[in-house]
Amino acid sequence: MSTLLDIQDLRLSFKGLRGITDVLHGISLSIAAGERVALVGESGSGKSVIARIVLGLLQETRSARVSGKVGFDGAEINTMRPRDRAKLRGTEMSMIFQDPTSSLNPTFTIGNQFAEVMRRRDPKLSRAACDARAIEMLTEVSIPNPDRILENYPFQLSGGMNQRVMIAMALVNHPKLLLADEPGTALDVSVQAQTLRLMHDLVEKHGTAVLFISHNLGVVREFADRVYVIYRGNIVEEGPTASVFHNPGHAYTRALMDAVPRITGAGLPEVPEVSDAFLAPMVRHDRGAA
Amino acid sequence: MSSVLRILLRRLGISVIVLIGVSMLIFAIARVIPGDPARIALGPNASAEQVANLRAEMHLDESIFAQYGYFVSDVLRGDLGQSLYTNRPVTTDIVQFLPATLELVIFAGILMVGLGLPLGILAARHRGRWPDHVIRVLTLLTVSAPSFVWAVILMLLFAFYLPLFPVAGRLGDSFDIATVTGFLTIDTLIAGNFSAFLDALSHLVLPSVALSLSGIGQAARLTRANMIETYDKPYIEMAQAFGFFPSRIAKRYAFKPSMIPSLTIIGLDFAAMLGNAFLVEAVFAWPGLSRYGVAVILRKDLNAIMGTVLIIALTFLVVNILVDLLIAFLNPRIRHSTRASS
Ligand SMILES: Nc1ncnc2c1ncn2[C@@H]1O[C@H](COP(=O)(O)OP(=O)(O)OP(=O)(O)O)[C@@H](O)[C@H]1O
Ligand SMILES: [Mg+2]
Repeated sequence: MSTLLDIQDLRLSFKGLRGITDVLHGISLSIAAGERVALVGESGSGKSVIARIVLGLLQETRSARVSGKVGFDGAEINTMRPRDRAKLRGTEMSMIFQDPTSSLNPTFTIGNQFAEVMRRRDPKLSRAACDARAIEMLTEVSIPNPDRILENYPFQLSGGMNQRVMIAMALVNHPKLLLADEPGTALDVSVQAQTLRLMHDLVEKHGTAVLFISHNLGVVREFADRVYVIYRGNIVEEGPTASVFHNPGHAYTRALMDAVPRITGAGLPEVPEVSDAFLAPMVRHDRGAA
Repeated sequence: MSSVLRILLRRLGISVIVLIGVSMLIFAIARVIPGDPARIALGPNASAEQVANLRAEMHLDESIFAQYGYFVSDVLRGDLGQSLYTNRPVTTDIVQFLPATLELVIFAGILMVGLGLPLGILAARHRGRWPDHVIRVLTLLTVSAPSFVWAVILMLLFAFYLPLFPVAGRLGDSFDIATVTGFLTIDTLIAGNFSAFLDALSHLVLPSVALSLSGIGQAARLTRANMIETYDKPYIEMAQAFGFFPSRIAKRYAFKPSMIPSLTIIGLDFAAMLGNAFLVEAVFAWPGLSRYGVAVILRKDLNAIMGTVLIIALTFLVVNILVDLLIAFLNPRIRHSTRASS
């Protein structure tokens, strides 16, 4: 298997009012094509900044100093021109976020946003072609009546529904790498479990590599092939998911495992893929805040 | 669309109530201020009998409630009464003077939106860097003085010391333009007189800039603040993660959502220019409704006062309704709400 993402000795510091803060102290992490890798660590340990570096966003932040190597698909992200980095985003790599509803643009319809994303790959794509492809993709994430969803605004859909929309949007351009930063943590546990299983099946089918970021070891257990444990900007443990679970080497990993809430400690709760709750999630919020 | 219609109907209902309230209030105040309107109108040489006749004709000896009743029944027939100052129907006066004020205010509004919003966007996109600093200092300057102060400053600078623009009025004396709309920039074009059009435009520059300067500053600062707040929203990060160009993110992801909270205040600022126009018109001898309003108040010309106030209140309300509709258009949450809200 070829290596898709190859991070070597990645260091990051921020220049602030009170001097320089080191955030990453030489991270090495790699993901093979089609591999699902989890990055687990407590809040503030440096998980999200790694994702932002892979996307090439932090390199463009003035206060951030990034050094080390970030190889992606044969190219070197850190030394790339900003516009070449931007070309990779949304096409070769994409990202899904913690809170699906607030991560979608509130003033455009789902169909509109799909079209925007698809035109990153092919700017000349007609709206009809975009819609057809979006409907295909929404069907893949088991959304009923996808043609109607295209005309909805994010606030008209439930959080679980928006999560599926976001997954579909992130995969519509067939990226090689999907970055998932605590996806669905804002949703309730059963909805989160459903969508994660869905995401799992989908990336497997498409052969998409995933960097799955979480602070919850239990959530990643069924999802990832391999796990990296990060603690204060250092990788403290790495290995196949099963062996890290059965034989945690580092004290911090054991502490993380003890901290896993019981409901997910034994893996994700069993929720049938198509339940009543799933078929009727199109909550219409009829009133604005006013 | 039905929700937009509902907003419209509700706003129209509120507007009617506001108009009734304003008319009652001004009606009462105008009659409380000292001075006998009939005596003022007829002058010191009129006989007591003439004054008494005019008072009777104006129902001034009846109770204030009866007077308001006459007023309402006249207004419903589209009759605002005679002005004792111009000796013409008040409606005729308004038709003559209102377009000059509207032209000035609309021009100032175009400047406010056309300059204020882009400056705000520019500052927000380059926040913390020099374009932001320059724009913030300049806009702080413009909002820190009221429009009549700017009127005097601009007049001194660009009409006296540096005579680039005319000092006063709407049009040079040498032009004779037939009135069609009352908007000179439009009427001159209708007349096909391009040099008159340019002259009218040059007369508009200083008053409309003076009137709009603080509005430009307000709009820019507000747009900047709301846009910077929007830049922290997760959907901006999502847009960045999808590799959209910064200019596209600014326009579609940061500007549009941030306009929704800004618009209400910008709309109010625009309506407030109607009031500020009073002083700016005074400085530039602009023959608009404001000058008329001041003149009729000093003469206690009751009908003309009522007419002027009502038409300004009406304009204010129309602007507010337009802003509300624009917000509904921009905000899908309002447009797509299906149930009546309380
Ligand atoms: N733009 C920035 N400027 C300064 N410091 C930053 C910036 N972004 C992140 N940091 C710091 O870097 C550290 C790592 O942040 P990061 O967001 O990666 O944490 P995380 O592991 O994702 O945590 P969480 O689970 O809470 O999301 C934190 O201490 C944070 O304060
Ligand atoms: Mg994070």
